[in-house]
Amino acid sequence: MPKIDRRDFIRTGVLAGTELGCGIFSSYALVATPTTFLSNAHDPQPIPQPPAMSIAHYRSSPAEPEGIAEEAKRLTRQALEALGGMNRFVSKGNIVWVKPDIGWDRRPEQAATTNPDVVATLVEMSYQAGAKKVLVSDNPCNPARLSFPRSGIQQAAEKAGAEVIFLDERKFRKMSVNGKVLKEWEIYQDVVEADRLINVPIAKNHNLCRATLGMKNLMGVIGGPRNRLHQDLGGTLADLAAFLKPRLVVLDAIRVLTANGPVGGNLADVKRKDTLVAGVDQVAVDALGATLLGYQPASIGYIAEGNARGLGTLNFNSLSPKQIEV
Amino acid sequence: MAKKKRTSWIVWLRRLTQTGFFLLFCYLFLQTVYHPINKAGWGITFFFNLDPLLALCSWLASHALVGAMLLSLLTLGVTFICGRWFCGWVCPLGALHNFFTSLRGGRAKQKLEAGGYHSWQKAKYYGLVTFVVAAVLGANVVGWVDPISFFFRSLSISIYPAINKALVVVFTWIYDANPGIGPVRLTLVTEPLYGFLRKYFLAVEQPYYWGSLLIGTLFITVVALNFWRARFWCRYACPLGALLGVVGKNPLVRLKKNEEKCNSCRLCLVDCQGGATPDSLWKPSECFYCWNCKSDCPAQAITFTPSASQRCHSERSEESRSDSLVHTSERGSSLRCE
Amino acid sequence: MNRLSNWLGEFVHPPREARLDLGRRALLGAGLAGLGAKVLFGIAPQASKRSFNPALIRPPGALPEDEFLARCIRCGECMKVCPTNAVHPASLEGGVEGLWTPLLIMSLGYCDYECNLCSQVCPTHAIRQIEVPEKQKIKIGLAYIDRNRCLPWAYSKTCIVCEEHCPTPKKAIWFEEVEVRNIQGEKLTVKQPRVDPDLCIGCGICETKCPVKAPAAVRVTSVGESRNPENQMLLSNDNYGQG
Repeated sequence: MPKIDRRDFIRTGVLAGTELGCGIFSSYALVATPTTFLSNAHDPQPIPQPPAMSIAHYRSSPAEPEGIAEEAKRLTRQALEALGGMNRFVSKGNIVWVKPDIGWDRRPEQAATTNPDVVATLVEMSYQAGAKKVLVSDNPCNPARLSFPRSGIQQAAEKAGAEVIFLDERKFRKMSVNGKVLKEWEIYQDVVEADRLINVPIAKNHNLCRATLGMKNLMGVIGGPRNRLHQDLGGTLADLAAFLKPRLVVLDAIRVLTANGPVGGNLADVKRKDTLVAGVDQVAVDALGATLLGYQPASIGYIAEGNARGLGTLNFNSLSPKQIEV
Repeated sequence: MAKKKRTSWIVWLRRLTQTGFFLLFCYLFLQTVYHPINKAGWGITFFFNLDPLLALCSWLASHALVGAMLLSLLTLGVTFICGRWFCGWVCPLGALHNFFTSLRGGRAKQKLEAGGYHSWQKAKYYGLVTFVVAAVLGANVVGWVDPISFFFRSLSISIYPAINKALVVVFTWIYDANPGIGPVRLTLVTEPLYGFLRKYFLAVEQPYYWGSLLIGTLFITVVALNFWRARFWCRYACPLGALLGVVGKNPLVRLKKNEEKCNSCRLCLVDCQGGATPDSLWKPSECFYCWNCKSDCPAQAITFTPSASQRCHSERSEESRSDSLVHTSERGSSLRCE
Repeated sequence: MNRLSNWLGEFVHPPREARLDLGRRALLGAGLAGLGAKVLFGIAPQASKRSFNPALIRPPGALPEDEFLARCIRCGECMKVCPTNAVHPASLEGGVEGLWTPLLIMSLGYCDYECNLCSQVCPTHAIRQIEVPEKQKIKIGLAYIDRNRCLPWAYSKTCIVCEEHCPTPKKAIWFEEVEVRNIQGEKLTVKQPRVDPDLCIGCGICETKCPVKAPAAVRVTSVGESRNPENQMLLSNDNYGQG
């Protein structure tokens, strides 16, 4: 992968820095505003702010595949409506990059990859909000040609009209991440150049960092020797999260992997939580996901690090997430 | 030399068939990949199933045979009738050797030297015996030299990875350098083409194989030898060719020469692919039934027809042989066919 | 009919042009060469029941070695189809007789847990046609951790990429949390990986993904392969006769 030239370097650095600044500012603002709103109950004309996070829970837990598919679609739609609709995140003419977890050559019921119907619904909603093009892809650990169809995501996304692509080796470019641990890393060019990035992870146990959620899912848009990041997952993932700043994070917790993650394989390790979390604060969404798996958010390295750096808050309750029963 | 006439339609048919089988082989090669979900591609072992040498040696060595390989009986059956038609019309490696042989320039005289029969062509029969004996004793090593196996292995380990690498390097260079004038960039053309190739031709990921240098060099050497002797592999080395030569040494469809029309111009020898000496004593076990001799003969003296009875010929040839050998080579064949 | 019977009779007494004119001595020599080759193959160490090449990792479903070598036509179909580029032509790992037969090189690719393509494409079934659930129980080798190179073992650094990728439902790589000291003298806890030899099927993804290179800190060798009851090290191995 060739190094980008100086002009690109500066442009990307400025872009990244601005993104980082805006990100920190906006998440700070989001943290501040709802609290202010609630505490000022006597304010004569409170300005309603859309919620930063929504948690959708399904009342039943259907067993059949059609039932789960229906559950996934309804949860996704309701969770996003609760946030103000997809129009809040996707504008007309946008190029949207939807980043599910397609990392492993596993079937959907093994809960190693994102629920395909969640992905398909997000694709549909993006188009309905006016997106020009929706791209779905991942840089998986098992070969993409195997994991994409076996996870069901390729078929579901294509049916919804997305362009499912297999990553082009040439498009990984070294970019200035300028993080605390990572100075520069190879990132897929088209992800950075897309107008919107929607991160769609699945909540899974991970034997190194306890849980893999949204910030860990971002490893699927980078190239290079990723297997070295494990030497400091807390720092490196926080760097990447700060650089990439997804516009929206939708955490699939319909089926979660409670043990032997992130690959899994034993159906006994899969538990139904029938929950979907959507939010703009990637640290808060991950923190909630951690509790769903039974872990303390602060005990997870990258969540604590993200919180410490102000990327978001691990105290998700402070965001007053909107809870809905579907 | 007499003027070369227009190529016969059978020769065009044969070329078309050769090309068709060659492209089919390449297509099946490209289909030997992962198809969703967990499927390998239909009919990809077709050419292996047609190959009687692999069937024979695998059965001899392991005392078991995969059902699909019984398709090779079809090949043997047609060989009884039409000799080494497989070499001339079907074998994809043969088609490749045919192509490179035809690339050779040179005048007819040079072609005659390179293309005439050489007694070293017997070497492939001895090779066949070696491999069959080894197979009887349990060593199925004929796969090293069987043409279908040799071709597929060479493509898979060396040639295809090399082509893939070359294409990716070129397209990547164009993508990175982005040459062009103003808004008109070369990538406007190359990127859609690259996308098409990625979808239908290029490997998902650049393959790298141990042993690729040796296997690739052997392959290139074998192909290059066509510039020294016409269809070198097919005539001198191929054990499948030898097997078919043995099975097809007395075929039903035979080359018939009309002695009255023949003026011994030896044009038939110039493009003879197998070195079957159609001008004198036709050797059925070396003939690929390519029909070049029939097509090239200005006097239209050669035909290929089913002909069973040769006893009278052998009797006559016994007589003429005992007379003098010189007599036989002087005026072409002294054989007469009914 | 007469012509037909004449023609058939000519296979017994071929006319002159149908004779191949092969010398008897030369034919005998060729036959002896075949015999000699087989004899020489038979005295190679690889043919001994006591010699196991650790690099001779055959694809899952491969028949026991003698039968495998008798069926394999060295065609390269399995090498072409393997989606992870794991299968390569052997040089001398299986002896001269094993030249260009398939083996897996885990530093270049691994055997995907849900895949059985090589067994689907083998023209002579030298690699038996097996379904995926059966393939997942076949051991093609065993991984071992090189403690001198592994990051948590040798360098007090966090890793366990091997465990992260291990595909077996109950992980064949487990870890112990150990307190170590780094070069600054600080105490820290690292997870040191260990391989469970009963669970490990030798798929090799650990070796392929290990960040330590040339050689990797966890490597697979052929010992424990299901298809060879001699190439075993454990008493508890119940895979005899399988494969």
